[in-house]
Amino acid sequence: MAELTKEQTGKGLQVFENLKDSKLLTHLNSCVHCGLCAESCIYYLASKDDRLTPARKVDIVSSVYRRYFTVAGQIFPSLVNARNLDETTANEMVDLLFGACTMCGRCTMHCSVGVDIGYIVRTGRAMLSNMGMVPATLQSTVIAAVETGNNMGIPTEEFVATIEWMEEELIDEVQNPEAKIPLDQRGKNVLYTLNPREPKFFPLSISAMAKIFFAAGESWTLSSRMYDITNYAFFSGNKNESLLIAKRLFEETEALQAKTVVLAECGHGSRAFRWEAPNYLDRKMPFEIKTSVEVIAGYIREGKIKLDPEKIKQSVTLHDPCNLVRHGGIIQEQRYILKNFIRNFIEMNPCGTDNYCCGGGGGQLAMSEYNDRRMKIAAIKADQIKATGAKIVVTPCHNCVDQLTQISQSFKLGLQIKTLAEIVAEALIID
Amino acid sequence: MATIEIEGSVFEVDGDGFLSDPSIWNEEVARLFALYDDIPEMNEKHWAIVKIIRRNFDEKGNAPMIRMICQETGIKLREIYELFPLGPARGACRVAGLPKPDGCV
Repeated sequence: MAELTKEQTGKGLQVFENLKDSKLLTHLNSCVHCGLCAESCIYYLASKDDRLTPARKVDIVSSVYRRYFTVAGQIFPSLVNARNLDETTANEMVDLLFGACTMCGRCTMHCSVGVDIGYIVRTGRAMLSNMGMVPATLQSTVIAAVETGNNMGIPTEEFVATIEWMEEELIDEVQNPEAKIPLDQRGKNVLYTLNPREPKFFPLSISAMAKIFFAAGESWTLSSRMYDITNYAFFSGNKNESLLIAKRLFEETEALQAKTVVLAECGHGSRAFRWEAPNYLDRKMPFEIKTSVEVIAGYIREGKIKLDPEKIKQSVTLHDPCNLVRHGGIIQEQRYILKNFIRNFIEMNPCGTDNYCCGGGGGQLAMSEYNDRRMKIAAIKADQIKATGAKIVVTPCHNCVDQLTQISQSFKLGLQIKTLAEIVAEALIID
Repeated sequence: MATIEIEGSVFEVDGDGFLSDPSIWNEEVARLFALYDDIPEMNEKHWAIVKIIRRNFDEKGNAPMIRMICQETGIKLREIYELFPLGPARGACRVAGLPKPDGCV
């Protein structure tokens, strides 16, 4: 790593200068170093390396803040543990904030004084993003989304051909030529979104959700112009890019005059669009935004779909995606769905808001640089799943699906990993 | 730069075990990478999938859509996930010597 330029340092520090409110200031100054967060962090639990405790991650960001924005830090930096934003500090920030955090937020929940540790990590990531120091593999995913409209760079004609192919499969499966996967239709009740990995590599979840919409008699459409629910700029910490990506989906929803945006099973994408985008866009959303988990639960509750309790005979456990559960508060809906038709449903321990991250969150799955660490922390999830004895793991997040698939392979667990829509579609009773 | 050793051959790879230099790929590399993923023997279907992925990469610089793989090989979608348990990206594309695709894979 070459020495940092003055311009780079300046851009990094801008994150502190552009503060709109006192939230960041409060959280930067509140850590009492009690160390309780250590035991909540999968990186610490898997390595027992003190350097990886969440408090250390808060510390490095706040030490830079102290150096440039407090009098004591400017005059006697070493007395107040204030650090220069030089290449050593910046490289350590990259290693700790990008390479050793899935932004799962478990530490934030366990913090004895309520420090929003996840927010500090994101602030640190924003500094590094301003300085052009986002790990290359993560940044290339952001660039693909910004430049092509989806994070895998899928050309529109390829996307459309895949949707048409899935429509044929759907018609075959439900034995009804009326079954459709509508594209670019205006004035529908629902605009459904996708994670680009679905059309590119895993389209069964598209036909599964289409089958559920069909059974429920939903009025819905996909958009060929903007279907990508992911927002990797949320991981890189770059607000301008987060805004740009969120704005596209916002504008497409308005253009298609959809009443509700239904978010694909994607933890961070749901968080970025439903809970963060109003902040990026600085406005209240004029349409409704729901996760597909809530929508499917609603169909069951209203009797719009019926599920066959004899269909899934194997034992099933549920993995809670951090962004959906801990950050978004979508906790009971997925359980309501599974308990409706799964005879042998076993919870992990801990579960719900206290669940352990799969290890693939926060952009980890995209960052090859930290693969070794990612698979080490995965041991915690592997043990948790093993203890349930379940043969199927369901999770409403495509990112978690990929990490869990690798966990199953690496730890030789022989599991089936499914999205919620996939397991529901299997048990769906079509009249 | 990370390396992996399979049956005495050493390969330079990225952190995820994808070949660092896709141009050194050949069928022997494919066979060894498959072995590493617990695929003891590449059958005709494995080869058909890998060759289409490789051709697309040589022509367009990226992995093909799963639709193209299915339609050109005639292999059913669900069977592809059985042939490559890690999926088309981390499984088949890695065996075909491609760089790791971007996104949630």
